[in-house]
Amino acid sequence: MWRVTRKGLRAHKLRFALTALAVLLGVAFMSGTMVLTDTIEKTFDDLFADVNAGVDAAVRSKESLEGNFGPEQRARIPADLLPAVAAVDGVKAADGDIDFYAQLVDKDDETIGNPSQGPPTFGSNWSEVDELNPWRLQPGSRPPEAAGEVVIDKGSADEGDFEVGDRVSILVVSGAPQEYEIAGIAKFGDADGPAGASFALFMTAEAQRVAGAEGQFDAIAAVAERGVSEAQLRDRIRDALDDKDLEVLTGAEITEEDQNEIQDLVSFIRIPLVIFAGIALLVGSFIIFNTFSIVVAQRTREMALLRAIGGSRFQVTASVVAEAFVVGVLASLIGLLAGIGLSSVLKVALNGFGFEIPAGASVIRTSTVVLSLMVGTVITVLSALVPAWKAARVPPIAAIRDVAVEQSVNVARRGTVGGAILLFGAGAILLGLFGDLDQGVYAVALGTLAVFVGATVLGPVFARPSCAVIGWPLPRLRGMAGTLARENAMRNPRRTSATAAALMIGVAIVGFFTVLASSLKESVNAQVDRAFQADFVLNTGFGFGAFGGFSPDLAARVAELPEVEASSPLRFGTVKVDGDDDFLVAFDPETVLELFKLDPRKGTFTDLDENSVAVSERIANRKGWKLGTEIPVQFPNGERELTIRTIYGTGEREGLSDFGLSLEGYALGYPEVVDNQVYVRLADGVSPAEGRKALERVAKPYPNAEIQDQTEFKESFSGQINQILGLVYVLLVLAVFIALIGIANTLALSVYERTRELGLLRAVGMTRRQLRSSVRWEAVIIAVLGTVIGIAIGVFFGFAVIKSLRDQGFEKFAPSVGQLIIIVIAAGFAGVVAALFPARRAAKLDVLRAISTE
Amino acid sequence: MSVLAEPQPAADTGVAARASSVSKIYGTGDAEVRALDDVDVAFEKSRFTAIMGPSGSGKSTLLHCLAGLDRVTSGRVFLGDVEVSACSEKELTLVRRDKVGFVFQAYNLIPTLNAIENIVLPMALAGRKPDDAWLDTVVDTVQLRDRLRHRPSELSGGQQQRVAVARALASKPEIIFADEPTGNVDSRAGAEILAFMQQAVRDFGQTIVMVTHDPVAAAYADRVVFLGDGRIVGEMTEPTAEKVIDEMKQLGG
Repeated sequence: MWRVTRKGLRAHKLRFALTALAVLLGVAFMSGTMVLTDTIEKTFDDLFADVNAGVDAAVRSKESLEGNFGPEQRARIPADLLPAVAAVDGVKAADGDIDFYAQLVDKDDETIGNPSQGPPTFGSNWSEVDELNPWRLQPGSRPPEAAGEVVIDKGSADEGDFEVGDRVSILVVSGAPQEYEIAGIAKFGDADGPAGASFALFMTAEAQRVAGAEGQFDAIAAVAERGVSEAQLRDRIRDALDDKDLEVLTGAEITEEDQNEIQDLVSFIRIPLVIFAGIALLVGSFIIFNTFSIVVAQRTREMALLRAIGGSRFQVTASVVAEAFVVGVLASLIGLLAGIGLSSVLKVALNGFGFEIPAGASVIRTSTVVLSLMVGTVITVLSALVPAWKAARVPPIAAIRDVAVEQSVNVARRGTVGGAILLFGAGAILLGLFGDLDQGVYAVALGTLAVFVGATVLGPVFARPSCAVIGWPLPRLRGMAGTLARENAMRNPRRTSATAAALMIGVAIVGFFTVLASSLKESVNAQVDRAFQADFVLNTGFGFGAFGGFSPDLAARVAELPEVEASSPLRFGTVKVDGDDDFLVAFDPETVLELFKLDPRKGTFTDLDENSVAVSERIANRKGWKLGTEIPVQFPNGERELTIRTIYGTGEREGLSDFGLSLEGYALGYPEVVDNQVYVRLADGVSPAEGRKALERVAKPYPNAEIQDQTEFKESFSGQINQILGLVYVLLVLAVFIALIGIANTLALSVYERTRELGLLRAVGMTRRQLRSSVRWEAVIIAVLGTVIGIAIGVFFGFAVIKSLRDQGFEKFAPSVGQLIIIVIAAGFAGVVAALFPARRAAKLDVLRAISTE
Repeated sequence: MSVLAEPQPAADTGVAARASSVSKIYGTGDAEVRALDDVDVAFEKSRFTAIMGPSGSGKSTLLHCLAGLDRVTSGRVFLGDVEVSACSEKELTLVRRDKVGFVFQAYNLIPTLNAIENIVLPMALAGRKPDDAWLDTVVDTVQLRDRLRHRPSELSGGQQQRVAVARALASKPEIIFADEPTGNVDSRAGAEILAFMQQAVRDFGQTIVMVTHDPVAAAYADRVVFLGDGRIVGEMTEPTAEKVIDEMKQLGG
């Protein structure tokens, strides 16, 4: 039987090459992702171990806030703890560390790096204690020796084309941007910079001043004397300080924390990539199933002959499974190798996005190798099981009888089973989204899979009528070639629907994200329309978990402009209220009503002071809060009881969050105070053009400030969504590409199967062009079928998810019909491309050979 | 199509198809097979001619070459006034579509099209409208009126071949080539099919060239051409089954 398997593989090299490609690509993507992320992790583990090598203990505040919405934020500690730490027995040296937002500006007045889209931009202090300083000065550099001097990281120096002695403008937290002289350029350990983040290193006093944190540090690090262990040092410092608001960690613990942070960051890349690899593999499994089904059907006679001469059912099944196994192993192996290559390409791509990864050898773990080989092989073999089982059911008599049976579809059974699975899936999704489950996400995932499976089972039932409808215009447009294309797409509903199903998956996800994106845009636009009554916004880029912003200096200057009637900065922050993660907005209570259409239901905004809070009516009703209620709010700087002074809005969100704070209240809660946006209303009689000019003048030293009117503000948000959507599209290209390979493969097999028929058509006068056209249109019908089903599923997913996120501000379900139509048209063209090769093959048929084929 | 309009010497002789010094050689060297060896033969218009010969005599090859399905190694082939042996691949396709009708031994029909769609297939491919009156005549001749909406899988073997004959007749081709049209059906159905072909020649003046190895089938023709080892080895007009069998015996030695 092994001989039969081997012969079978050799005889159909091309079709198995295409099948293998479907597995190979998925495996390559998966292993590439794993190698890449392992490499990143290892590189940064080493880097942090290296730069933290000198730190034996560190003191920092216990107060911190770690939410779902952003990185951990921690309160600062008084700088005068430093002498106390340095005096502890066993401490050889100690120094304070402070990190804050600082933005380097290059010689063309452009920012270096863009923290709203890429890695953050930091300022820090230059430590005089060598063991505690992670930075390595480059030749020709020296440490900063005056307030007006900085050292910058090598990555930024290269990007901004800076040399030692140049002057650089830096945007800082407190005060106007300022020029500094570059005293030195330094590497972070062996890297040009930490993961693409930029750094400006000031003298300690200057660092504290520009951070707006005079007399404060983030942490104090200590080096142990010879013979004192890290743990001993930690315990001694802890005992000496004896302060319950502080925590003391060993160097190893700090390193581990840093490494965990990197791991989280890496998972942030890894998880979506692995999910997309999984989608690609799922699509691939449809292709494998389909190819093996067709091949088995075409080899009915061969299988029957094997049975007739004494082969058992098991042997026939085994011969097909063995074929699948060989294909799976080979494809996984090549896929693994391709993935290792791919990881280097992805690394370059990440560098392109500003996430700089220091050089280092690729990390290929045994688990990556084993998992890739196993997943690829198991998926291939599993997908071939049903066809293999069908092969064994071929009766021996089929060898002698000419049974070109076009298997009929059991409509009733398929309809019932498929419909049930589909409904179950849809139910699970809805339950997961709207039900009160602890692990709703698993219900949604299971439901999604069930919807795909249900649609696939149902496929053959509606493939025939669907193709009839989709292909309806063809006979009129393309005559006989069109008629045949339509009939051929309809003639084998199982094959057609299985081929279309592969495309359906990718398109469903494309459709889902498209619907999600357009709904989000519409929702935001509606909110902006409703709430926005400012003339202009100075925006840093409306990033999610935005880092950086403007020094309050900018808002102060804007407020002084004679052209400005009212203005207010907006600051965003994460908090825990009543134990729940949430975010709040801080604004100027005096002007907020001139800039936003807010509806204060109870109390007034002008009553807000640093110890009070404004809450939305929605949340007040839910929590049973009233004016005067004191609620506990957890800030990075610690928990505070705030009194409710204002209740605003209706049941819906009004463009702001559920919690509003005064600017003073914000400053008390957060270690770092920057404005994320500044809203401006022009004085009467000032034209928008004049207003813009005045704002441009004031904002000139702030190259990160974009001056936007309402339309531009909406567009900037849409632009960000489009960027994310674009990234998702790119990741889905692979799944769609694999599905197209599936269409090409199916058509090639069909063409082979119809050799005689095509020969007859050519004999009675079909031109090659007509034949190519016929194959092409058949592909278009299949592609459009898969796309339409995919879009229907995607729109349903989108609808369910958006409705479940109503409370989070997704108020509009707005599928963009135009975009969805474009997707269908694009799928049609993709079908044409997929048909290129099989159509050419069909057209090349030798007429005489075709009609005399046995 | 300039080639189709080009006048040829054979134009007015009443000849529908002609092979002139035609040879067809497969393979080279020791493996060389001479399927046709310097064949000269002409087929008159409005006549039913049968080509007979034992297996391997080259009769199917001759038919394929005449019909523009296969290329000759040397010599010239004419269909009416068109030199088939000088046509390009594209021109051959159009010649087959517009001037030739085919009936093969089996697999004559497109399984996804019903009977009437199969009948008008060549005209549909050409984008021409069929002549409805003529179509009615053809359909009635082959007695398929009540089977027109059926797909091939719903027709018996004999009915399928009748559809094939109807397709060949429907476009009023200059010549119909039939390759063992009754080879795959029982004798009663075969007799019907042959009778229709005979009727088409007598009543409508159709030209038919049929390859067969069945003396009974050959007896329906007006003329029989005998082929052996790639050469014309005999000829007979107004054949009967007995005469054909005798001739075959003599030729077979």
